[in-house]
Amino acid sequence: MKIKTLEEILKKKSSKTEFAILTNLENGDSEIYLPGTSPKGEFSKYADEIENFFKSKKNGVIENSEIFVETYIKPIKVIIVGAVHIAQYLVDFAKSLNFEISIIDPRGYFASEQRFPEIKVINKWPKEAFEEIETNSSTALIALTHDPKIDDPALQYALKNKFYYIGALGSKKTHENRCQRLAEAGFNNNEINSIHGPIGIKLGGKSAPEIALSIIAQLVSETYKK
Amino acid sequence: MKNSFDEKILDEAKDWIKANQKVVLATVIQTWGSSPRQVGSRMIVNEKGDFSGSVSGGCVESAVVSECLSLIKDNKPCKKIEFKVSNESAWEVGLACGGEIAVYIEQIH
Repeated sequence: MKIKTLEEILKKKSSKTEFAILTNLENGDSEIYLPGTSPKGEFSKYADEIENFFKSKKNGVIENSEIFVETYIKPIKVIIVGAVHIAQYLVDFAKSLNFEISIIDPRGYFASEQRFPEIKVINKWPKEAFEEIETNSSTALIALTHDPKIDDPALQYALKNKFYYIGALGSKKTHENRCQRLAEAGFNNNEINSIHGPIGIKLGGKSAPEIALSIIAQLVSETYKK
Repeated sequence: MKNSFDEKILDEAKDWIKANQKVVLATVIQTWGSSPRQVGSRMIVNEKGDFSGSVSGGCVESAVVSECLSLIKDNKPCKKIEFKVSNESAWEVGLACGGEIAVYIEQIH
């Protein structure tokens, strides 16, 4: 691989562009491929196979050839509501798991850049904050404030937009009350039951990093269930 | 849904090159049976034999390092290496898990 290609790969990765690396295993030539375009030179006759690898988000060697395809897809978006202590540990865990995190918190003293360096922190109420984030059914929501004023609008937005994972922090009692409010707001049982509450798998820990670990474990597990 | 796994090995490769090291990139390109790392897993090796990342669960890394050092020494661009099920005579480079993997090594130049 040429240094130039490596630099291009890193640039594409940091700008969250989807691409593939094509490598000719016989002569070592490698090339960056963007979905929807025609592969260049020696790779051109494998256009269909390369596109198929891309669609199935797989890496591998094209059958009866010496061409290796490695696809890079966009990281999964995770939106955290509440720039609280647990969120700081979630950010740490997510770094090595390739989730792209955004944090929403209208409370300025929580949502500071100093507490969350290099993370997109939106210091607004959820309704306005969601206007700044592109979301779809491959987005996850982690609600951590257990304050209905902040969490509820975010949960409602996530339910309406069919996020694949929605979790909310709070005791069983807090969650019961939350479910009741959502029912009153017109959400059906299926929707309400899709929320993971109390959030996280049962680990038994009570400290901020332990709760963060239980949340991240549940998030990863739900990601691969889909 | 599949999450893209990204262990920042390529980022580290860039740092090593910046520090004027010779870098060989090793990538798992095929697997058969049960193998510890999936296709696309990566490892980098420099001319001193320092390495980062992984292509197996520790089973074949030492063999990959020596192959990478030979690649640098012979100044060859790339090579494909296959590792098969371990047996007693080849325990050092075998996969204890019973799988098979193909690893592609290439110099970054």
